[in-house]
Amino acid sequence: MNRRIALRHLALISGGLALIPSCDFSSDDILAAYENLKVTASQKQLLGSISDTIIPAGELKGALELEVPDFILVMVNDCMTEENQQLFSTGLAAFPDFAKNTAGKKYDQLSTKEKEDLIQTGIDLQPAENSEGEKDKAVSYFLNTTKRLTMQGYMASEYIQTEIIPYSLIPGPYNGASLISESQNPRING
Amino acid sequence: MANLNIRNKQDRTYQAIVVGSGASGGWAAKEFGDLGVKTLLLERGRNVEHIKDYPTTNMLPYEFKHRGKLPQKVLDENPIVAKCYAFGEDSEHFFAKDAEQPYIQEKPFDWIRGYQVGGKSLLWARQVQRWSDYDFEGPARDGFAVDWPIRYKDIAPWYSHVEKFAGVSGNRDGIDTLPDGEFLPAYDLNIVEKHFAEKLKETYGGDRHMISSRCAHIHEPRPEFAAQGRASCQNRNLCQRGCPFGGYFSSNSSTIPWALKSGNVTLRPDSVVHSVIYDDEKGKATGVRVIDAHTKEVEEFYADVIFINAAAVNSNAILMNSTSARFPNGLGNDSGVLGKYFAFHNYRAGVSAAYDGFTEYTTSGGRPTSGYIPRFRNVKKQETDFLRGYAGGFSAYRGGGYVADARVGMDLKNSMLNKMPPDGPWRVGSHMMGETIPKESNYIALDKDKLDPYGLPTLQFNVEYDDNDEKMIIDYQEQISEMFSKAGFTDISVRDDHRVPGLDIHEMGGVRMGKDPKTSMLNGNHQLHAVPNVYVTDGASMTSTSTQNPTLTYMAFAARAAHHAVNESKKG
Repeated sequence: MNRRIALRHLALISGGLALIPSCDFSSDDILAAYENLKVTASQKQLLGSISDTIIPAGELKGALELEVPDFILVMVNDCMTEENQQLFSTGLAAFPDFAKNTAGKKYDQLSTKEKEDLIQTGIDLQPAENSEGEKDKAVSYFLNTTKRLTMQGYMASEYIQTEIIPYSLIPGPYNGASLISESQNPRING
Repeated sequence: MANLNIRNKQDRTYQAIVVGSGASGGWAAKEFGDLGVKTLLLERGRNVEHIKDYPTTNMLPYEFKHRGKLPQKVLDENPIVAKCYAFGEDSEHFFAKDAEQPYIQEKPFDWIRGYQVGGKSLLWARQVQRWSDYDFEGPARDGFAVDWPIRYKDIAPWYSHVEKFAGVSGNRDGIDTLPDGEFLPAYDLNIVEKHFAEKLKETYGGDRHMISSRCAHIHEPRPEFAAQGRASCQNRNLCQRGCPFGGYFSSNSSTIPWALKSGNVTLRPDSVVHSVIYDDEKGKATGVRVIDAHTKEVEEFYADVIFINAAAVNSNAILMNSTSARFPNGLGNDSGVLGKYFAFHNYRAGVSAAYDGFTEYTTSGGRPTSGYIPRFRNVKKQETDFLRGYAGGFSAYRGGGYVADARVGMDLKNSMLNKMPPDGPWRVGSHMMGETIPKESNYIALDKDKLDPYGLPTLQFNVEYDDNDEKMIIDYQEQISEMFSKAGFTDISVRDDHRVPGLDIHEMGGVRMGKDPKTSMLNGNHQLHAVPNVYVTDGASMTSTSTQNPTLTYMAFAARAAHHAVNESKKG
């Protein structure tokens, strides 16, 4: 997805923007829709970019196109303890530095492969028991939470559950001895 | 509280009043309707009409804002009900929130309530095993509580009566601890569950069983269900949302619409019963006082017969709050046992394991039930250093799915979109359903100095586990582990989650039945010994708890008692 389309999607999904002064998302307006978080428009854009690295567009739509970043922020805003919300926000705020220190560049200047490597490194961080470790802990928590919620938001999206793997409210009668060899679905290429 | 008895007394007079519209109250109302008795069915909560008031029933996962998870604010405001397994984004509207009716926990008790028409029958686990005489004779044989005034033969025809109408699926297993009933075809056990059942038969010579648990689901269309507007269960496993097919039994899908159709039953939601009115001169109950849930105004309703089916705790509370010159300590409470000998089911323990066989198989589709291990301990004779025994739930399942630790990017995406075939072993699990011994020291009471939002006295719980329960947990863990081991299961682990009483949602007693008015509240017909035109037929009436899920028994009690009341009135 090119940057223009990405921005258009972002404009569509940032219904929580308190003020849209222009199409310049580098400004740091705090998004009012997530009242328990102090998330700025640029941070939401970064989150969108991270979620789109976790589940990119390919033959099928990716996380950003399915408005997964909005889902992530709704979940963090509504369904997390204050303590975890803070850890998430701290990690999100610390991520640009983490990117620069680890990969040597700003996140959006990295190649796809470098972005994946960076996020994978952050997910696997083993934070030390010191003040530097505190930051790592927040980054790791932020990335693990973002990955989990990206996966959930993607798979439990209308797009996936109606067009790709249709969800049925009626699962059919029980078969308690179903041969695995006969129950494989055709492969889906993401 | 303004008393607005402005309507003509005649307009507020019925032949029968039923307090509570859950599983037992719904049955009383249905029977009265069928028998031509003009009946007022009172419910403290709002109306919930079948299908129309099931707002989430056909929602798809992505239509839930939080995909099923409840917001932290809801959890923080409801530390008690949030512990219930069925309380979720799709069902929270069918649970009473903590703030609606605070209560005092002298000892910790998780009290789960469903305040709406249909009560908890919308939310129950739908497991319906009959009791046997091993249960009804338990207190007399083992010397606890008091002897039940009834036996299996008294209740058996009424089990049949409710099973045929409600729809119960199961096998005729021929096990004397768990009598067979009027069954629709059973749901299948899976290949590993069948293996376990066979191994138990081989190993224990017919003394231990694992069967397909009998459940209140329609597994075969029949005219009697079609007449209720109910269709077969579609295996959705979304029962807690209310079923648009009426596939499982609830008051909402079955007894209440049936009762209303008779033209004899009037349903009045939003009616919190304050107390039963006792007329000292007439020497009987004459009606009930009702608080309007919205206006808080008090109104009286009158009837010849009063059925209290408010669910175990609230049925106790109504009687305790029904004081008069004749009954200063609560209606019918000459014995002083009201609120005492309160008991529950012990659900603390579980055992899980793995099975390495049948690796080429998995399961598909859905079913509304699983396996059940009927009680085998201390059945024919006392075998252990604790009294009574336990039943067990049992199920086997095969995991599978995507590899969550796949590398982010296309690897992760493709692994999620292409669910991996199961590669690990089958897993098996059991949970305990232990009989607890009713004791005088386990009781509920009213604190009349603290009033709830309706101005009613606050309930107080003094209920806890005892040494018998602790020993039983260990025995359950040991015996189930042994049974798992004999079936070839490996990686066996036991747990005790130390939950406090209440989450079983099988609270019972306080208004127990018994032969002797000096030591019990109700006679063998569910009438208060001292006020025979008041009947209690829900969990409050239980003399002992057995191990079986109790709702079917309450339903049978309610139907039986309603017929008794009508026969009594014919005698004049």
